[in-house]
Amino acid sequence: MKNLYRPIESVIEDIKQETPNINTYRFRPKEPVTFAAGQFVELTVPGVGEAPFTPSSNPNVTDTMEITIMEVGSVTEALAKMKVGDTVGIRGPYGHGYNLTDFEGKEILIIGGGVGLAPLRSLILALFDDIDRYKKISIRYGARTPEDIVYKDLLPEWEKMKNTEVQQTIDEPHPDWRGTVGVVTVLLDDLPLVTTVDVDVPFHAETAIACVCGPPIMLKFVNVGLLQKGFKPENIYHSMERNMSCGLGKCGHCMLGEYYICKDGPVLTAAQIEKFGDPF
Amino acid sequence: MKEVFIGRENLQRLIGRWAKDYRVYVPVTFDIMNNEATPDYELVAGEVPEKLHLEGAALAHTAKSFIFYSREVVAKYPSSDPEADVEAPPTVIVGPRACDVRGLAKFDKVYWSTVHFTEEYDDPFIIEKRKNTYIVSLDCTAAKETCFCTMVGGEPYPKEGFDLNLAPIDSGFVLTIGSEKGEKLVAGSDDLVSELQSTHGQERERSRNSVTEAVNRQNADFRVEGSFDRYDLEGSPESWAYVTQNCVGCGACNRVCPTCTCFLLVDQRAKGGYERTRNWDTCLSLGYARTGGGGNSRPELLQRLDNRLRCKFEYSRDRYGLVTCTGCGRCIDACMGKIDMREAIKHVVTEKAKA
Repeated sequence: MKNLYRPIESVIEDIKQETPNINTYRFRPKEPVTFAAGQFVELTVPGVGEAPFTPSSNPNVTDTMEITIMEVGSVTEALAKMKVGDTVGIRGPYGHGYNLTDFEGKEILIIGGGVGLAPLRSLILALFDDIDRYKKISIRYGARTPEDIVYKDLLPEWEKMKNTEVQQTIDEPHPDWRGTVGVVTVLLDDLPLVTTVDVDVPFHAETAIACVCGPPIMLKFVNVGLLQKGFKPENIYHSMERNMSCGLGKCGHCMLGEYYICKDGPVLTAAQIEKFGDPF
Repeated sequence: MKEVFIGRENLQRLIGRWAKDYRVYVPVTFDIMNNEATPDYELVAGEVPEKLHLEGAALAHTAKSFIFYSREVVAKYPSSDPEADVEAPPTVIVGPRACDVRGLAKFDKVYWSTVHFTEEYDDPFIIEKRKNTYIVSLDCTAAKETCFCTMVGGEPYPKEGFDLNLAPIDSGFVLTIGSEKGEKLVAGSDDLVSELQSTHGQERERSRNSVTEAVNRQNADFRVEGSFDRYDLEGSPESWAYVTQNCVGCGACNRVCPTCTCFLLVDQRAKGGYERTRNWDTCLSLGYARTGGGGNSRPELLQRLDNRLRCKFEYSRDRYGLVTCTGCGRCIDACMGKIDMREAIKHVVTEKAKA
């Protein structure tokens, strides 16, 4: 039988520094690892261990995979010491991706906090590949300081895409920053509180899709904000990633009630998790 | 199911025959630290031990230990072999009780979807061992004081899920053949068994009824309103804090539980590269749900014990259609804080009813 636990050797082809503690790595797996936007993989640093990550590259590019990773624990710290040409392991993909056919003809609000924009990038790039199918793409991104912003060079490019807008904020005022200040929920302020079909408003909350990824506290407040604005719980997608060890719906680490986040998620709608009260 | 009679000495001989072709584990008693004798499994090496412990209640170890090792290498890397390298020698286990056999159903659901109709991934390490493990279960002839199988839909004797079952009666055992694998174990041993007499069956029924009554009797004080498969344990933090007050989070309950399936993958250096080991894990440890960066969805011990008990009664039921507490009572036996699962459930349900 096929061994589910075997990592596929993958060579680090490129490392790009995004912030002082976040890098984007490009990997070339020896066997193709294809994924859909929203799915995740288990990345092995040989001898150190595995950790789950959602790729941040375009899912339509299948021979390589990019992942934007912050140094936060043993695996990511060991990875940060590795160099171009070194070998890691990848297995997956696991979980469900976003159901992009559901997104067609709709306005799509993408809300990221900190390194939480990284998994959303693969979604954004997948949407860009079929941009005419979607009514509008609004990317709203919050970072702690200007220095902590990931994809500094890409954000202006994204803004140039058809039917696409990008809004940014940082948590605290900073001498180098001219834009919006405040946690990412301030970027919801332009959304009207009541649902409406008026064409002038930025979003039609009744039909719009929201995809959210960031720290738990951010998910919690963005969720409340979006529901207040009239978004439907079944249209709000949260990245609920936890410390998936196996990715196979077995080890139990990511369990949320009867859900295995790794298998039933990692993206779950607000409707799926509302029974847990505050699961973030 | 076909049933025959086998005498004690002939059973000894039958086990001896198995030992030629299989790894065979039998129940014996161990004298640990001059305490009262602890019944547990022993590997038959050479002669079958003269004094088998084919009576009483469940043994210290659960049957899961034979298909889900406490630590096991599941991958070696770098490797280009996509096939799993599983070591699963044919093994006969004599002595699992009904609570163990029911516990294996959880493993089947979680790890062996193609046969057990779930939508989970098939795990070669569990499946190969499950295929090559022969369960020779045993009726309980007495209840230990922590047994409560009848409170959670069980009986102190297996009804299904075994290959062979032994029901002790005065003159020997009623041997029930429960599967093709069971047929294989008795094939060619007609000389050791004889036709079942009606008195044998009657004697077994008397024993079964008397143990069932004993389990019911000793649990009378723990009864709660409502059926065990409909428990709603979403209790107040106060009620869970009360239940958790003597918990130290050691995870002994996870390790002795016949249905705790959780594990952690740990990588390390090994000859020729690296190896990935799968290790039993405990959902009661602080680090269990901790993520990189320090986030933790269950930072409080009371949340973790809440999660453990609700996993048994609610989450497994909702996911696999299976309440996964089998009432073996081992978690109560193993708990150094003397937390009694039955009291915990009763407390949470009762407090909830009051609110």
